[in-house]
Amino acid sequence: MSPITVRFYSLWRQYLGIDSISLDADNLEEALAQVEEKFGHRLRDQLKADGIQVTGKIQDYSLMLLNGTSLRCLKQTDLRDGDQLQIFPPATGG
Amino acid sequence: MTSIAHTEGISAIDVQIASLKQGIIPWRYLRNIGTIGLDGQIKLLQSTVAVVGAGGLGGTIIELLARQGTGHIIIIDNDRFAEQNLNRQLMSTEQNLDEYKAIIATRRVKEINSAIAVTTFLERLTTENAAKLLKNAQVVVDGLDNLPSRFAVEEACRGRGIPYVYGTIAGFSGQLMTIYPEDAGLSCIYGSSDSLPEQGIEVKIGNPSATPAIIAAWQVQEIVKIITGIGKPIRNHLLILDTIEGIADRIELSG
Repeated sequence: MSPITVRFYSLWRQYLGIDSISLDADNLEEALAQVEEKFGHRLRDQLKADGIQVTGKIQDYSLMLLNGTSLRCLKQTDLRDGDQLQIFPPATGG
Repeated sequence: MTSIAHTEGISAIDVQIASLKQGIIPWRYLRNIGTIGLDGQIKLLQSTVAVVGAGGLGGTIIELLARQGTGHIIIIDNDRFAEQNLNRQLMSTEQNLDEYKAIIATRRVKEINSAIAVTTFLERLTTENAAKLLKNAQVVVDGLDNLPSRFAVEEACRGRGIPYVYGTIAGFSGQLMTIYPEDAGLSCIYGSSDSLPEQGIEVKIGNPSATPAIIAAWQVQEIVKIITGIGKPIRNHLLILDTIEGIADRIELSG
């Protein structure tokens, strides 16, 4: 098991009231499952209270980076000690 | 300055540049010189900056570029002002609803600094027309409201070998960074352009008046740094500003 840090930014940090947590996980799938179990329900409830309906798991409606690279670009999902999983909402306005 | 330009048959910008080269500061730039110097002001007057989108971000960007003394501004937007723009789009007024944003922005630049050259395109930037619209631009700045267009701009900038100043907003938060052709860029955040989220949370929570102004002002500061060579542009880092918590986060990106 590798200790990693999960960091929340922007509105997700506000909604969850937490800046970062530490997790132990061997791979990304395990880490994402823990994030969803710990925070998924709370985040969806907060969003719903603000009139924002989301579906799926946190990774389905958030931007997620592992050490500064989008999870969508990752070729391998093993985790190493000290990895950072960065999570924040998509923003496209101008 | 204007009468000299008329008499000599040269542009007002060239008169201003010649004046600065002689150490004579046009009064309108006096408060710029302490930070960017005579050389910095000359570089700005000689520069061409393309602003893609003239709404919340773009309107403020254009206003500030004009006041900073950017020699040539390319304004690209095919949209017209609507009532829901009035809360945050600096150039919208009750009198100009239904008018083209790019036309109003062009008029505004001329009101602020008649010496500045403006090229106006009433078009939506796409991968097909990007090369034509961005021709001659040294820097492109983002005033867009969707991700596919941002990827098109990034690709066009890479093709032209010029930097792109990315910015986006949602609610009380915003993001920005400067992307040079050799930088990893938007794919670090969003993955490939084939798998983009359709819309951000701003569609639901909206954008209050101050958020676009904050991000736009920082984008203009990036342009000033790029053109003058003063300071370090925010490269390979995503800056996330959370104005509710008062936190500025920098995420280091790796491609």
